[in-house]
Amino acid sequence: MSDFAIDILLILVKLGLIFAVLLTGAAYLVLAERRVLGRIQRRYGPNRVGPFGMMQPLADAVKLLTKEDFIPAQADKPIFFVAPGLAAVTALLAFAVVPFSPPITLFGREVPMVVCDLNIGVLYFLGLSSLAVYGIALGGWASNSKYALLGGIRGLAQLISYELAMGLSLVPVVLMAGSFSLTDIVLAQNPVPFALLNPVAFLVFLISTAAESKRIPFDIPEAENELVAGFHTEYSGMRFGLFFVGEYINMMILGSMITVFFLGGWIGPVLPPIVWFFAKVMAVAFVFIWMRGTLPRLRYDQLMHFGWKFLIPVSLINVIVTGALLLWLKG
Amino acid sequence: MAEGIDVYKRRYGQNPKSLWRDLKGTVEPFYVTLRNMFKKPVTYQYPEEKRTPYPRYRARIVLTRDPEGGERCVACYLCSAACPVDCISMQSSEDENGRRYAAWFRINFSRCIYCGLCAEACPTLAIQMTPFYEFSGRDPLKMVYEKEDLLIADGGKDNEYNFYKHAGIGVANPRGGNEDEYGPVDVRSNLP
Amino acid sequence: MPILTIDNQQIEVLKGTNVLEAAKGLGIVIPHFCYHEALGAVGACRLCAMNFVEGPVKGIQMACMIEAKDEMVITTTDQASQEMRARVIEWLMMYHPHDCPVCDEGGECQLQDMTIAGGHDIRRYGGKKRTYSNQDLGPFICHEMNRCIQCYRCVRTYQDYCGGTDFGVLGTNQRVYFGRFRDGRLESPFSGNIVDACPTGVFTDRTFRYRTRYWDIEEAPSVCPHCSLGCAVIPGGRFRELQRVRGGVNKQTNGFFICDRARFGGGYGNHPERPRVPRVDGAQTTWPEALRALRKRITDLVARHGPGAVAFLGSPRASLEANYLLDSWAASLGSRRIAFDSHWQHDRSARVAAGKLGPRAASLEDIRCSDFILMIGVDPLNEAPMLALAVRQAVRRGVRLAVIDPRPVTLPCAAAHLPLAPEALPDVLEALAGGDIRRLGRREAVLLEGILEQLRAAERPVLIGGPDLLGAAGIERLLDTARLLASEHRPCKVMTVLAGPNSFGCGVLARQGPDFEAILNGMLAGEIKALVCLESDPMTGSSDPARTGMALGKLELLAALDYLPTAAAHHAHLFLPTTAVPESAGVYVNNEGRMLLFSSAMDPGTPISVSGGGDHPPRTFLPATPGSEPRPAWATLGHLQGRRLSLRDIRQAIEMEHPNFAGLSSLTTGGEGKRIADISPPPETAPEIPFPHSEGEGTLRLYAMEDFAGSGELAGYASALAPLRPTPFVMLGALDAKQRSLSDGQQVRLRSELGGVGVALRVVPDLPAGIALVPRLRGTALESYVPGRGHYDCQILSEDEEKT
Repeated sequence: MSDFAIDILLILVKLGLIFAVLLTGAAYLVLAERRVLGRIQRRYGPNRVGPFGMMQPLADAVKLLTKEDFIPAQADKPIFFVAPGLAAVTALLAFAVVPFSPPITLFGREVPMVVCDLNIGVLYFLGLSSLAVYGIALGGWASNSKYALLGGIRGLAQLISYELAMGLSLVPVVLMAGSFSLTDIVLAQNPVPFALLNPVAFLVFLISTAAESKRIPFDIPEAENELVAGFHTEYSGMRFGLFFVGEYINMMILGSMITVFFLGGWIGPVLPPIVWFFAKVMAVAFVFIWMRGTLPRLRYDQLMHFGWKFLIPVSLINVIVTGALLLWLKG
Repeated sequence: MAEGIDVYKRRYGQNPKSLWRDLKGTVEPFYVTLRNMFKKPVTYQYPEEKRTPYPRYRARIVLTRDPEGGERCVACYLCSAACPVDCISMQSSEDENGRRYAAWFRINFSRCIYCGLCAEACPTLAIQMTPFYEFSGRDPLKMVYEKEDLLIADGGKDNEYNFYKHAGIGVANPRGGNEDEYGPVDVRSNLP
Repeated sequence: MPILTIDNQQIEVLKGTNVLEAAKGLGIVIPHFCYHEALGAVGACRLCAMNFVEGPVKGIQMACMIEAKDEMVITTTDQASQEMRARVIEWLMMYHPHDCPVCDEGGECQLQDMTIAGGHDIRRYGGKKRTYSNQDLGPFICHEMNRCIQCYRCVRTYQDYCGGTDFGVLGTNQRVYFGRFRDGRLESPFSGNIVDACPTGVFTDRTFRYRTRYWDIEEAPSVCPHCSLGCAVIPGGRFRELQRVRGGVNKQTNGFFICDRARFGGGYGNHPERPRVPRVDGAQTTWPEALRALRKRITDLVARHGPGAVAFLGSPRASLEANYLLDSWAASLGSRRIAFDSHWQHDRSARVAAGKLGPRAASLEDIRCSDFILMIGVDPLNEAPMLALAVRQAVRRGVRLAVIDPRPVTLPCAAAHLPLAPEALPDVLEALAGGDIRRLGRREAVLLEGILEQLRAAERPVLIGGPDLLGAAGIERLLDTARLLASEHRPCKVMTVLAGPNSFGCGVLARQGPDFEAILNGMLAGEIKALVCLESDPMTGSSDPARTGMALGKLELLAALDYLPTAAAHHAHLFLPTTAVPESAGVYVNNEGRMLLFSSAMDPGTPISVSGGGDHPPRTFLPATPGSEPRPAWATLGHLQGRRLSLRDIRQAIEMEHPNFAGLSSLTTGGEGKRIADISPPPETAPEIPFPHSEGEGTLRLYAMEDFAGSGELAGYASALAPLRPTPFVMLGALDAKQRSLSDGQQVRLRSELGGVGVALRVVPDLPAGIALVPRLRGTALESYVPGRGHYDCQILSEDEEKT
């Protein structure tokens, strides 16, 4: 068998694994979120389906699949069909560049634990997170509904605003690692993760990713008490399910990115690297959930103020300071 | 109002726009929610664990009887008028003793919202709410209760009251025979 | 006109208005019981206290007793008057029983409202209460004296306004009692009005006892269909059943009150045998099927025999809209064979009234305000009861009333009665119009002279006539007489009592068309193959039932639209159910020519008490209401012509086609209605109208007359009126009875062309010699004696004679 065929096979296997892990992870993240929120509010959360409610995601999937697929009469149908897929696919694609372990050796071959270790991984990630806007914007537009349109517009504005801060907060990381490759960035954090070296960038990135994932306190595009359900108001059944899954996959991607950029990726003592990686991702996910159970939603103007007048200046200054420090240290 | 401002100032200092206040307001809640996560939930695990409702709990409706065992309901229509979801209907009628009663009385429990306005409106204490809350079904028609299903052989929350003993129109007792009445006037008399 | 200030608002009122009314004009409603617009003020309840600050009277006064004067300054919201009202209502409530839940008045009780309005919410009196014994006041009124607050409204209504004599106030001191001397049915035919007048639950409607609360009943302003006066009524239904009728307010017609026939005779729509499903050849079918069948059969008949083979019969109890659509249907088919009343004498009379009454038409209000009344050939209590009450109001003011009629016309007031045989009535009319008075007897001539004198002296005289004895010719002569008596400054108004609630409207629509007699001849000759009856029953309605029955038997197609189980509906090849008056909307034109709107109070349907069949209403879910098939006649008739018309469309079409109905489409329900514009030029007199009374040759001339509860088509189907229906009787003059050695109350045999029948004899002292009278009583052997047909030759024999 030629090397090329084996490479393809390996990539397919990795893709399959990642799909399985990500989708199951997203489904159980939903359950985890509901349980954690329940405990925060001193209730149990779903605990009826299976032991500890472990079968709840399955029940939810069955429910979503068997629900009526409702399409508004005035909807822009092709776009209406494409939008949820776009939301889920862009989220999934970002995982292609995430390295979750150092390369391992299988049957004498070195297998990198990343689907594709691009040397411009950071840019790829930023590019895809910009594309994620399309899912929302098109979904909101195609529904031909006031709430959906308003939600879509809000989502658009929010994502574009926070993308800037997110990108700028990654500049110091790249500066410090000296590479756009995510694997290199992880390796550069041995032994001290960037979160400790540059806490300002870490915080800005954490906040921006929360905003990118449209989660409380930044869930303005789907603010229930103003917009019913925002951009996915008119979606039902599995189409809604795709938006929903996309959001949780996105949460895992962003968790992975935080892990990779600031928390030292798979690096850790004693335990195998892959365990460290997932533990860190789960910790970030927990923080997101915790944040949801704690903070109230921002107002639209507060959101914009915070993004443009605080986060962007802070990260700009951080870029300059970090650059200057690096120059001074190395020079 | 002024007191509220004082509390505010004590907690956050003189400057309400201080960064310290904002930071504290953002971080402190994380501690509160984290603390809650380790407390025991207050949920009753319903089908296994049942709570005992208070006597004034508002659930399944009954029609009670007066101390003599007669139907208390006089079919005055006040409950059906008070009902915000129109789930009570009846037809009043008169029996041979001049007593007003419900020829039929129907509560559609699949519509009832257990608000208790009917019991509140009832002038004869006939219609009462009970704490029996495990009350549901799959067939809406089976949730339509007739008078026979609603009547109980008890006075419910008050076993003393008998409307006709106070009504003053001579139904339970002969005219003028209640405690708080004089006997019928002699119209033909012209004594001062 | 005085200008006064009440609660800082100024109002100008007519002279003579009391302060309570003036305040009402400003929208200030002060609690009151004894004051009633129709009954006046007595100051008995002491509740309408106001504080008179400036003006001729000062201090706390009863507003209903004080005439509004200039410069009065009055407050109603100050503490003193408010406290006074609160104390008074507390006194009134002191002995009032604690029984609102079992009182039928509860919810629409003025005492409840005024107690709350007066600010009395907790009873402080802890002592014993006074009680009374009740009386059995018959099948219509329930009595509960314990609830009485002594406002005297019932007595003022029953005795003063309605002229009843068997009910009043008894007792002294704390024992004041409102009732009869002993138990028994209230005799006045207006007794039901005390239910409306009583502000609390002392008098309640027994037919409505314990049936429905005010807030559950569906009500709408309507018009009474029992006679031609067009009294305002408010029917109320619940559970798809007409449960009661109360009096409406229309100051031009009935005022505030109605008669017992209107109040308790509303049950015709609830009749258990009411046909509610369309029928074709005796088999029940669906609406589309029935409509298709009717359209097809009529087209076939027109194709085979020409349009003249189809005849139409409208009805004075159908709405103007339905009659108009029937007319336009006939016109569109090309058939000119349409009549609007199967009783040709009534039909002709209505046409005369509609064509010639003009500005001389008197409303009931005109009668109440008149200063001399002459009634000729009219028996108000049986033919149009509220007319008797209107006449009474005039008589109460001292107005003279003369009655010329062979019948023993009973009235709730004093009248000079001249009993003349029906044959003499034309001579009387002629004499009134200036003809030779000597053709009458000497005694009659003297009386008539007196009447004429008073008639000439009066400023606002009113002549009242009816078609049953006068006939169309007589009505025309009456109108001519009125024209001769009137001058520029002195109107002489006329009221003609007609047969049905919409007779006048039918008269306008009919114009020069044929009458039912012509259609009957056509049917007998076989030229007419089909008859479409709109809410009319020629079998009992026409003046010759036997001949009509024979003619109907010859028809190929008898189609009926009706809501009553009439004979015609029963025998019809094609039957389409229509809605009864309380279930439909439309317009009636009353005998004065006043267009009156009635609206639908309820939807048609089988009453729950019937469909439930016992103790419970059904426990099933159905997509449609059972028995809801009946549709308004106008909708069905529009549909048959392939036109989708709303009531508004129809009214506009009527206005376009008949300009004298101008303003029809802008009328509103519950108003006073609008008199139609007069036909100009008035239609030519119908050439030959035979006067109904020719000289008879039989031993006795028998005339049929109307009965209060027994004669009307609708009243016949109202089961609640049964206690008012007399057992069959015949009336005979004292002299004739003596000649035949018959005595009052005796069972006799009445023999005429219609066969023999056993009836009770009533001897009436002043009945003219040679005539006998029977009331038309539906459902009895006397049903076939039709009033207004002329006389029947008859013999009256005692039972013994009959045997030999």
